[in-house]
Amino acid sequence: MFVDLIQNTLDGLTSGAAYALLAVGFTLIFGVLRRVNLSYGPAIMFGCYAATWFHVHFQGGLLLLAVITIAGTVLAGAYVERLCFAPHRDGSAIAAMVASFALWMQLEELAILAMPKHLYAFPALYEGRPLALGPFSLRVEALLMLLVTVATCVALHRLLYRSRFGLAVRAVIEQPVAAQLAGIDLPGIFVRIFAVASLVGAIAGYLIVSSSEQVTPMLGMWSTLKGMLAMMLGGLGSLPGAVLGGLALGLIEAHSQWFFGPQVRDLTAYLLLFILLALRPSGLWTTTRSAS
Amino acid sequence: MSALLEVRDIVTAYGKIEALKGVSLEVQQGSITCLLGPNGAGKTTLMMTTAGILKPKAGSIRFSGDEIAGAAPHAIVTKGVALVPENRLVFPNMTVVENLHAGAYRRNDQPEIAADVDRMLTRFPVLKQRAAQGAGTLSGGEQQMLSVARALMSRPKLLLMDEPSLGLAPLIVEEIFRIIAELRKDGTTIFLVEQNAHMALTVAHHFYLIEQGKVTFSGTPGSLAEDEVIKRAYLGSAKT
Amino acid sequence: MDDYTIGVLTNIGLFSFLALSAYLLLITGEMSFGQQAFFGIGAYCAGILTAMYGVSLPLAAIAAMALGALAALLVGLPTLRLKGLYFAMATLAAAEMIRILFELLHFQRTVEGELLGPDGTQGFRGIRWVFESGVEPLHYLALIYVVLAVVLGLFAWIERSRLGATLRSLGQDPELAASLGVDVNRLKLGVAAAAGALAALGGVLYAHHNTYIEPRNFDIMLGIHSLAYALIGGLGTTFGPLLGVVVDIGLVEGSRVFEGYRMIVFGGLVAVLLVFRPRGLLDERVVHWLRARFS
Repeated sequence: MFVDLIQNTLDGLTSGAAYALLAVGFTLIFGVLRRVNLSYGPAIMFGCYAATWFHVHFQGGLLLLAVITIAGTVLAGAYVERLCFAPHRDGSAIAAMVASFALWMQLEELAILAMPKHLYAFPALYEGRPLALGPFSLRVEALLMLLVTVATCVALHRLLYRSRFGLAVRAVIEQPVAAQLAGIDLPGIFVRIFAVASLVGAIAGYLIVSSSEQVTPMLGMWSTLKGMLAMMLGGLGSLPGAVLGGLALGLIEAHSQWFFGPQVRDLTAYLLLFILLALRPSGLWTTTRSAS
Repeated sequence: MSALLEVRDIVTAYGKIEALKGVSLEVQQGSITCLLGPNGAGKTTLMMTTAGILKPKAGSIRFSGDEIAGAAPHAIVTKGVALVPENRLVFPNMTVVENLHAGAYRRNDQPEIAADVDRMLTRFPVLKQRAAQGAGTLSGGEQQMLSVARALMSRPKLLLMDEPSLGLAPLIVEEIFRIIAELRKDGTTIFLVEQNAHMALTVAHHFYLIEQGKVTFSGTPGSLAEDEVIKRAYLGSAKT
Repeated sequence: MDDYTIGVLTNIGLFSFLALSAYLLLITGEMSFGQQAFFGIGAYCAGILTAMYGVSLPLAAIAAMALGALAALLVGLPTLRLKGLYFAMATLAAAEMIRILFELLHFQRTVEGELLGPDGTQGFRGIRWVFESGVEPLHYLALIYVVLAVVLGLFAWIERSRLGATLRSLGQDPELAASLGVDVNRLKLGVAAAAGALAALGGVLYAHHNTYIEPRNFDIMLGIHSLAYALIGGLGTTFGPLLGVVVDIGLVEGSRVFEGYRMIVFGGLVAVLLVFRPRGLLDERVVHWLRARFS
């Protein structure tokens, strides 16, 4: 029983790592642009499908496929940003969101047209037996996922706290009017942070499809949903919160699935979020900033 | 010689409501010009319009001869105009030094920027004490100093200030106005919005009175009886 | 009228209930991702009553609407304080919870030798009350539109009344409304219940048209679609959401022209449309203009 608990915790942290990256990407867009991007997951799916298509036709190594995934996601993300978010920058948040929903439909259909099968195999991140650490089993893919997630978070932290661009991004998150008055060019920041969010999301997507060794069109909605859920659990608009929310989501899912099965696993996550929103809308971890 | 800032018939609206109904005024180079008026008269709206945050429906704003009405805020900063906003609006989770660096965002001369940060910390000793602290932990007066210093980091030719004395203790207010006089001596032109008409008139070379979206008076301190000015600045004139 | 046209028109009618449900909440300033759950509750409740217990459709519909309203209150009460994205996420979470409950619902009994009832993810088949009563598809279509017309009449009446103005004021400026003495919470809950009942009514009609329902029918996609119908069609008038439904189901699904590219075309059109019309086709300005011209 104790062994199961630890094992589930390890598994939960692994899936939580991917959720954390998804949440971070989603939060970057929400925190900076103050917009919900329903095409976030679909853009990631598009990138993964681009890599799958390439692999099916030309065969590619892990690194090449990762690069294609990232390129595809950033491209799709730029398309979404131009059509859904740039035109509504000073306008309606809902219009931007519905437009992003419309493009979600587009991206999903594009993927299905290009690759009509419901499921495709994706090359494995690691071929080999899991590591045995005493009674626990640790898949090497899981370890890689955790490492890449940590590396990505560290890199992102450096970007945000050690670069001029990062300073501007944090300024926009905290006080968009003062940021503009300081001379920060909002549209330029938006475009670049969108690209960063796409990059982070692509990394998450690549880790997910290469460790589960499959890709489906449902990946789009699934990623957006997990990203949103984790973001809200951790505290709307807070980046450390997004990471913690992602890990928490992974842990909650792993443990409730063990005891109650997959449906109750999802039920638990939603129930927790609902209760959290009803009692403490600002999330489990918050900064002093209040979200509008 | 034409004025550094020329505002002509500016109309700014929030939806259908016009907050500025055709405002015209001038700020001469090297002066401290004051905009006085009761709450809701349009003082902040004019500041925000000049800084580019709000776009005017009509009218023109010329800075050093260049048209800036409707331009993007960052372009206006590059031209040499900086606004110290109402309520300070510091970046609360960033340190004092980071706030200062943000103000210099449009500049590329790194070594000079670092030198300017030092100069600001020297000029505003309270900031030096709290250099590595989060700006949100500073007191109101300290935040005001920071907001001014941040705006100065862009080396503006024209400094706009929106109610710098708001909510501050009298001693701090005196300090702020001492700094304003000093800045002017160093060559910065200042366009100042103030509710505290009394203090404003002690430093202003020229002032305007704005009521309900229009300029109703223009003159130098002493041209209108001071208590009349102060009354109208706080309460607006008796007629509607 | 051929079967295909009847089918398309029926779908337009059915999903109009859902679009109107989302619209009702939107004009009071709340964005819900979860109306599809009440649609599903209406479907399951009425299906159980008519297929498993031989209750007549009208009675089952009333019961289903009551249950829909109750469920909406259960969701609306804890979320009263929430706004914007917080509220939207809460409704999404609630809707998904309800959908998962449908997946876990196994409740069957033998009726005249046949095992009927919801069977989790396997769905619920045999909701044949309408067709066993001898109602033909064309008649059912007429029934749906008669009910829809009644609902629209009610909406139109409310729009012109003081209640309508109050509801819109909730959406524009809730603080102002509260300061004018409006019991904002009471009103919000009332709207939530009404929207829930309305969605449930749509669900009742849906279940009896399809004769088979499964939890997957009531997923997030349906919810966001309903929101989109209202936003694309326009928030200025009750016909806005209907226009949204007609555009999606009628033009795009109904015309077989864009086979396979349907969503690519529709998605692109919607995004471009929103650039020029962020409040939808029939937004407040257009409606104002139309009313001025035709009155």
